[in-house]
This record gives sequence, C-alpha cells and structure tokens, in this order.
Amino acid sequence: MKKKSILKYATPLVALGLLLSACSSSTGGNSSPSNSKKVEDTSKFAFKVKNTKAAIDTGSLNYALVSDTPFEGTLNYAYYTGEPDAEVLQFFDEPLFSTDGDYRFTNDGAASYEMSNNNKTITVKIKDNVNWTDGQPVKAEDYEYSFLVIGNKDYTGVRYGDAIIQSIVGMKEYHEGKAKNISGIKILNDKTLSITFTQANPSLLTGLWAYAMPKHYLGNIPIKDLAKNDKIHKTPIGFGAFKIKKIVPGESVEFVRNDDYYHGKPKLQSIVLKVVNPKVILQSLKKGDVDIATFPTDQYPSAKNSKNFQFVGKNELAYSYIGFKLGHWDAKKNVNVMDNPKFQDVRLRQAMAYALDEKSVGDKIYNGLRFPATSLIPPAFATYSSKNADSIGFDPKKAKKLLDEAGYKDVDKDGLREDPSGKKFHINYLAMSGGDIAEPLAKFYIQSWRKVGLDVSLVDGRLAEFNSFYKMVEDDDPKVDVYAGAWGTGTDVDPYGLYGRDVPYNYSHFVSDKNDQLLKDGHSEKAFDPAFRKKTYDEWQKYMNDQMPIIPTLFRYEITAVNNRVTNYTVDPKDSSFIWSTVGVSSDTPATE
Amino acid sequence: MLKFILRRFLIMIPQLIILSILIFALAKAMPGDALTGQLASSPKMDAQTLMELKQKLGLLDPPYVQYLRWMKGLLHGDLGMSVIHQTPVTQLLAGRIGNTLLLSFAILILSYLIAIPLGIIGGRWTNSWADKMIVGYNYLTYATPLFIFALLMLFIFGFVLGWFPSGGSVDIRVEDGSFAYYMSKLNHLILPAFSGAIVSTTITIQYLRNEIIDTKIKDFVKTARAKGVNESNVYTRHILRNSFLPIAAFLGYEIVYLIGGSVFLESIYGYPGIGQLFVASISQRDFSVVTALVMISGLATLIGTLLSDIILSAVDPRIRIE
Amino acid sequence: MKVELAKPNPPKVKSAKSSGPFSIMWREIVKDKLALGSLILLGLILIIVYGASLLLDQEKIVTVDLLSIYDPPSAAHLLGTDYGGRDILGQLIIGAKNSFTIGFFITIIAGCIGLSVGLCAGYFGGKVDNIIMRIIDFVLILPTLMLIIVFVSIAPTYNVYSFIMIMSAFLWTGKARLIRSKTLAERELDYVNASKTMGTPDWKIIFREVLPNLSSIIIVNLTLNLAGNIGIESGLTFLGFGLPESTPSLGTLVSYASNPDVLQNKWWIWLPASVLILVLMLCINFIGQALTRAADARQRLG
Repeated sequence: MKKKSILKYATPLVALGLLLSACSSSTGGNSSPSNSKKVEDTSKFAFKVKNTKAAIDTGSLNYALVSDTPFEGTLNYAYYTGEPDAEVLQFFDEPLFSTDGDYRFTNDGAASYEMSNNNKTITVKIKDNVNWTDGQPVKAEDYEYSFLVIGNKDYTGVRYGDAIIQSIVGMKEYHEGKAKNISGIKILNDKTLSITFTQANPSLLTGLWAYAMPKHYLGNIPIKDLAKNDKIHKTPIGFGAFKIKKIVPGESVEFVRNDDYYHGKPKLQSIVLKVVNPKVILQSLKKGDVDIATFPTDQYPSAKNSKNFQFVGKNELAYSYIGFKLGHWDAKKNVNVMDNPKFQDVRLRQAMAYALDEKSVGDKIYNGLRFPATSLIPPAFATYSSKNADSIGFDPKKAKKLLDEAGYKDVDKDGLREDPSGKKFHINYLAMSGGDIAEPLAKFYIQSWRKVGLDVSLVDGRLAEFNSFYKMVEDDDPKVDVYAGAWGTGTDVDPYGLYGRDVPYNYSHFVSDKNDQLLKDGHSEKAFDPAFRKKTYDEWQKYMNDQMPIIPTLFRYEITAVNNRVTNYTVDPKDSSFIWSTVGVSSDTPATE
Repeated sequence: MLKFILRRFLIMIPQLIILSILIFALAKAMPGDALTGQLASSPKMDAQTLMELKQKLGLLDPPYVQYLRWMKGLLHGDLGMSVIHQTPVTQLLAGRIGNTLLLSFAILILSYLIAIPLGIIGGRWTNSWADKMIVGYNYLTYATPLFIFALLMLFIFGFVLGWFPSGGSVDIRVEDGSFAYYMSKLNHLILPAFSGAIVSTTITIQYLRNEIIDTKIKDFVKTARAKGVNESNVYTRHILRNSFLPIAAFLGYEIVYLIGGSVFLESIYGYPGIGQLFVASISQRDFSVVTALVMISGLATLIGTLLSDIILSAVDPRIRIE
Repeated sequence: MKVELAKPNPPKVKSAKSSGPFSIMWREIVKDKLALGSLILLGLILIIVYGASLLLDQEKIVTVDLLSIYDPPSAAHLLGTDYGGRDILGQLIIGAKNSFTIGFFITIIAGCIGLSVGLCAGYFGGKVDNIIMRIIDFVLILPTLMLIIVFVSIAPTYNVYSFIMIMSAFLWTGKARLIRSKTLAERELDYVNASKTMGTPDWKIIFREVLPNLSSIIIVNLTLNLAGNIGIESGLTFLGFGLPESTPSLGTLVSYASNPDVLQNKWWIWLPASVLILVLMLCINFIGQALTRAADARQRLG
C-alpha cells in the first residue's frame, strides 16, 4: 500500500504514453537491428549514497518535497490522497512490518507475524518497545482500530476498495453496519491480534494493510468527522523515527528526532521538509539548500555532472503502456466483454508494437531514465519480472510483414494501409497531456505507425487533459481505439486488479480462459510457494506478450539527488524499512557547488 | 452616495447568484470528479465501493440537488468539504488566503510605487532620454511572461546572489509571532512581490504617461501657466489630478489580474496561496474548493469595481454616481 | 473646473477631416523617423512571416525527430531544435504568424465590442450605463481560466480561431470600462451639449464628435493590447492549457523557458521568440505613438 506512484498532475511523469520495444524479438523471424542489449541495466544507478565519513550527532537535514503544488496535509495513511502527503508521512509514521527486496513482510519491523497452516490467519505481535510519539505503547487495538475506521460505513477515504481488506472475515457485515466489530479480527492480548481471511492469498504478505492508528488519540472522534480533525491535519502522531515539531501548512514541516524510536535512536537530530518547485530544484541542490530530492527527468542531463550532490536510483514500481480497446465493461454484470472486432487480429497488435523504437524514446526523450519495457511486471519486482517473456522489440520490417500477412494492405496506393476488406483503416489514439514530453512523444508514436503504413491520429486532434483522458478510457468512448496509459503497481506483484475478468481497471477488456487461469493461480494457495508463483507469472508475462492486448512500453528509473554530506541514504527496497533512522549527515554545512 | 453604494451591494446579490449557477454548471460540465485522480493512481477499488463512495460524497445526486445543498451551506457560511484535502473548505481557505492577500497587496503597493513616478517622469519630460528608457523598460516587462520573469528573479536574487530565500512564505525554524517571524515573512515576501509588481507596472505607466501628455497641452493647463502658476504646481495641482482617472478605472481590473498572476508566483516560489489552489483544484476536480474560490474572487472583484467607481467620482466630480 | 476643461469645438474635428484622417496619419508617421522605420520593419516581418508560412511545410516542422533533440543552431537548423527535435526557425515563423493573427483579431474583436459598449454606457449614462456596467462587472468576475479549461476539455476543436473567440469574450471588458469613464467625462462638455441642443442625432454626436476626442486613448489602448496579445497564450501554456504544439506560437516557444535548463543553457529556443515579440511590440508602439499624435491636432509634429 505504501508509495503508490501517482501518475498524475504536473509532474513530468504524467505524460505516459508509450510503446514497447527493444529487447529480444519474439515470434521468430529475423532478429531485429536494435536487439543489441538487454535493458536490465539496474546498475546504472547506485542504491546507496557514497559517503564514508561518520555522521555527526547534531545533524539537521533538508528534505525537498519536489512538487509544484503545496502538500495537502492529510497526514494519515488511511486518509491521504496525494503522493506529497505520503512523503511527509514517511518520517513520523510507518507500517508495522518491515519488508524485503520483494516488498514481502519480514519480522524485523515494529511487529512480527506468523501465518497459520492453512494460510488464512495471520497472527501479528507488536514488539514491546514500540511506542507512539506521545509515549503511549502501540497496541493490538490500534491496529484493529485502523481496520474499524476503513471498514466503517462513515469512512470517507478510498482504502476500503482493496480486495484484501474486504476479504477479512466479517468485514462485509461490519461495513454494512450489521456488526459492531469485525469478527475476523481477534485481539489476543495487549500486543497481539489475529486476522482471518475468507481465502488464502499470497499477496497478503505484501498487500495487507499494515498501518496502525493511535486509538487512544483518535478513538473518541466520530469516524465521520475524523478526516477533518486537527489531529490528522495539524498534530498527527505516529511511531516513526521522527516526530513533528511544527507544520507550516502546505509548505514545510519540521521534524525532530524520536529518541524513543524502537529501532534505535535516529542519527539526525532534525529534518526540515519543504516544498520546492521542480523548476528550481537543481539550483536548490547546487546551492546546498536541500540535501535530498526526488529529481525530475527533464533536468537530468544538466544535473548529472554536478559535484556537490550525487544520484541514487532504483527501478520504479510502474510501467507505461499502450492499450487496445478490445471490448467494453459491462457495469451491470461487473464483467469485461471482449467484443470489439477492430483489433482482434493479434498480428495487427504486434505489428503496432514492432513499429515503435522504445529504446530511442527512453534514451533521447527521457534522457536514459526510462528504458524499453519487456513485460507487464516491472523489474522493480526483481524476483517476478520475467527476463524471458519474449518481448517485442523495434523491428519495422517485421511490423510490415505482419500487417501484410494479416491482410492490411495499401490497396489504393496512398501510402496508408487499408483493412483486410479494402476499406480505409484509421486508428484513433488517445494520449494524456501534462509535462513537456507528452506531445512529442505522442507525435513520435503516430509518426512511427505511419512509417509502417498505419493511419493514426490523436482523438480530437489533441492530447486529452488528465480527467478527460480517464473519462474516455473508463467509459469506453467509441472515439478511442488505442490509448497510452501508465500504472503504478504498488508493492503487490499480483496483476489481477488490473487484468482480471471482473475488474473495471482492465481498460483494454482483454479476457481469456488462459488469462483467468494464470491470474488465479498467481494468487492461489499454491502460490505461497515462491517458485510456483514465479513460474506462473513468468508464463503470464509471456502469454500477455504473445497476445499483446497491452503493449508494455517503458520502465522507469526513479532517481534521487543526495548531497555529498549525507550518509547511509539508500533507495534499496530491502533496506527501506528503517531508512530515516540510519540516515545522517557528516557535516553541519551542506556541500555546495 | 450612501444610497448608491447600498444599491450596488444589492445588485451584487443577483450577480453572484447567476455566477454560482454558472460555476456549478461548469463544474459539472468538466469530465471526471474528485475521485478520478485518486483512483487512477491507486486502482484498488472495486466497482461497488466506488459507487458507495460517490453516494457518500453526494456525487450521484442530480445537479440541482447538489446545487441547492451547496447554496444552503453557503447561506450558513459553510463552503462544504474538500474531497482532496479532507478538510472543510473554510478552514482550507483560512490557511491560504492570508498569504495571497498579503502578496497581492504588496504587489499592488509596489507596482504603484514604481509606476506612478515613472509615468509622471515619462509624461512630463516626453521624449527625453529618461522617457525613452521608461518606454523601453515598459515594453520589456510587458513582453516578458510573469513566470519567466519570476524564475529569472529567483535565479538571480535567490540563488546566484543569495540575497533572499528561494521559496516558502516563512522560515519554519523561527517561533510563531516573534519579531523574527515577521521579519522572516517579510523577507520571503520581497522577491515574489517585486517579481509580480515589476511585471504589472506597464498599464499604469503607459496610461499615466499618456494622460499627462494629453492633459498638459489642454487649455486649462495653459491658462494656469499663463497665470504664472509655477511648473511643479501645474503638475501636482492640475495635471496629475486629471491623469489618475484611467488608473482608478483599472483598479477593479487589477484585482482580477493579481489573483491570476498569483498562480505563477505561488507555484514558482512555493508560496501556498489560493491562486495555485484554484488551478490545482480544477485539475483535481475538487469542486467545492473551486466554487468557493470563484465566489470569493467574484465578490472581491465586484467590490473592487465598486471601489473604482467611488474613486473615479472622487477624482473627477463630473462623473456623478447617484 | 468644468469651464476649464472645455475642449476645442467640433470645428477642430472638421478641420481634421478636411485633409482626411488617413493622410494625416500617414503624414505623422512619415515625419517621425522612428515610426516610419517601425512601420517598414513591421511590414517586412509580416510579409516574411505570412509569406514564408505559405511556403513552409507545417507538417514537416512539427515532425518529431529523436535524433536531433536540442540541437544547437547549425546549417541544418539555423536556430536549432527543441525537445522534440523540431526546427525552431520554422516554428518561429509559423508561430509568429499564429501569434500575430491571434493578437490582431483579439484586439480588433475585443476592441470593437469594448468601444461600442463603452461609448454607449458613457454617452447615454443613467440606466443604460448602469445595466451595461453591471453586465461588465459580471463578465469580469467570470473565472476565465476555468472556462478555458472546460472549453479545452469538451470542445471538439481547439485551435487559433476558437482561442481568439474565447479570449475576446473576456478581454473587451477592460476596454469598455476605460472608454466609458472617458466618455462620461466627455459628454459633460460644452460641445456635446451644443450639438444636442442643435438636434444632432446621438449616433452622430458619438461617432463624429465624441469618438475623435477619445481617439488618443483608444489608440494607446489598442496598441497596448495588440502588443500584449501577441504571446497571450504563454501563461496558459505554462499551466498546460495552451494551444496544442501542432499549432506553434510565439507564446509556446517563450514558455519553453520555464524549463530552467532551457532558460539557462538553450537560448536558441526561447530567445528568438522573445526578441521577436519585443520587436513587434516596440514597432506597434512607435507606430501607435505617431497615430496618437495624428489623432490629436495639438500634439502633431507638423
């Protein structure tokens, strides 16, 4: 649940269009010219900052929240809606479980857990020394309370929609107001509770809601008024490495060390977080005004040789894609129906993928910070992202060949192909506006398709604004044949929520028995065995590449700029759990250029 | 006069009501709602829960029901809840509006402080080298988009010279209410206010300069000179008084402009205010915030134009406002 | 005060007419070297821009070329390329055409509406004035940005012409307020009263007598507006609601400078457009100054 990448407003991220590419060519044929190398170049950025000096004890660090809008200030995991708030939250509150490199829960965090033999019950034990920043111990009832809030009928946030939360025994009854408590959640003692689920699901260990809420602090506020209470906006408490000293709404937060932190006293004495516009972030870094900042892609070339700060990076839990509208969503029956004949020929879909030079897009437009996507599971899931998914590379010859085979030929010799029945074949492409990159990117794709003889144009002749984009995609607007989107996957590898037969987010509406089966196997009880799960998802990734209802286009690096005085900062997912207690600074004054 | 002002206030009521209907219709005409953005980023939401949530937020009611509910709240001083900020709109605005008012006020004052002397110099010594510089300055600032200018100012004074802080409205490390706190606020205000002020001087300079040129050859001025009134008195007593007319006529307009301009300044200087909130809320479809802001800025503009009219009549008695 | 303010009588206007307003304007411009130079320069720029844009292949200019992203000026691209590898010179020419078209038509349309509305309100005063002014107030409080956003998201096309229409719909109000305040003052003067007593129809008084006396401020205003409306779309581009990039404009080119890397290191993208806007503005201004003098006999150079 943590760190969903928010693919929206105003950040360069927003653009999201894209196409697939590079990498090994799949269905036989000549190997394509750009197949040169595999793009699993995770070594491109170090995870960890290089600074061997010792941290000083009285250090203060400046953290930039890179955003062109203020942070909203809903400082609670159950309620926040924007990524900026999540960035503020991480310093003073954290999940109960620590995680490993695959984002799976481990037992090193604030709580330990144990699964029952049938994998349907998890028993969670909160460690004794874990206390809220007001000194009260974190108790089992605090964890239960956060489920009671989210499941409550008066709850106004968006977390209840989660399938795992809904699969807790008794959750539905509680949500409908028929029960006072959730029968599947049992408090065993002050620090221990068990949660029982209606079905076993391996995603539990990555996707289970892991946040406690301080019941002693918030419990007497009616749930319908909780979201707007000052205890969430102005004086929130957590059990993280730092505690809030002061908030200037929307622009900055001052944190001080939580000496009582269960994982040891944090190295830094204080952290000042402030909102910095992406347009001035490079200057701020150079001047030493900020020590740590997520760095925008478009300024990377002019920043990469800077002396006083360095870049660390990791693969993002996200990918860009191009989807084909293959059917529609039947809202009455809650099911995807694949009934649009336009793109039913898989050769046409693959040809559109072969036409796109994703490697160049990543290198030239995204300055090397994006690279060709090879499947629908990004390499951030190091274990599950398949390296042999028969991804489709850039091969325009092959694209033309496939189109010829499928009967899309240029009968009237106007340079554009007609459909197999000889009629004009026109494709409407929907892409989202936002960020500098969106327009040339969309344009580039259209040009690339035109080069293989396909007549593609933008829906309404322009990029769609964010909300219009989603409206058209969600409503299956007949104007849209193909659309460019992006997904932030969250830390749960299970793709069911995006590609299942009965989920509305399966925007391409691709359904097949094999897909159903693979997705089901992927979160079946058997999939508690990682080897089985990996095998299943490998197969699924290959299957989706063969069927190509979605062209995976680009994977991304997320890079963070870090001042040279910072010690121990790392973006390695396996070390993410206590990161803010270990980070320090080796000098009182930041390095400047 | 009092009657006039009262009448104008009464006329504001239907104007604001029409505005409210229009703004509501516009809000509904925009695709998507406040949940669109949240779900696009975190698609863990089944169709049924989504419907429930929309129901809870009142998004499924017919627009007129939503409108009436909103109007009812408005009459009770309740502007509704922001879905995005999960907080009452009144509270949200209370935290932001002060910054924007402060910034706008500073810009207004600074821009008059810069523009009026320049306009007078340009008008009095037309075609002198000073006048030519002023015209040049005028067009340079007019041609420069505010956001570019603000960025340049920030780079030069914030980063290269380091004279002013590079963002925010106050240093978080100073204690609220202390002397240092107000100094810090002021320090953070200077750069954005100057950026805004310099770019907004054009119209004032141009009209003032032109009015003076126009007026100084008029008969009454000649008469005054002929009567032996000394030159500086001619200007202060006779010419300037008449020349402020178009500036006064633009005051109401200035307010709209300032609110518009604050979007860029607030964004670039990380100065949380309502201009930026407005743009963000439109993108996020946070309608209760949007409608509230439109109503507030509408009211402010109406009062601004009323003020313009009163000043106009005070400057030029020929314009009667009964 | 009223007496002091008395304006020259209609004869002045008549005498101006005798030699024809256009020949007077022409004479003023020719006498002023700066204005003449400006007129020639402006004419040249417009001929080049409108002429060249007929010859240029717009489709080719907006074609994305990944191999030449951010190329500095070279023989192949005289003014380099932007982040899509698109030729800046070509965009500059087409952009100047689009921007001038936008600026010109917005100024004309908004000017005509503002002028007629302002004249009516100011001249007739009383109830008419009151109603018109309340309508203006109302237009003034409309959230322009939001209307544009709604328009952009639901209108089937968004191009130069729809942009002109929507901007004109808002921009006439400032002008109307200004003209009205001047007309109000004007109509109190003796020459208007005299004409009225003589039974001259209102429209004649408005157009033959009041209007010429306002010409100075009108010209200044239109000049300022024309200058300001060139590049008016840059702010919207910054916010993400500008014209599509397939319709290049000077404002779009200038707003590329909001990327600090472009601003500091890639002058060829934004500087030519900025300079062009400035040059156009100055030309228009100098011509405008000459015209102002032409409109007001007492300021004439000869």
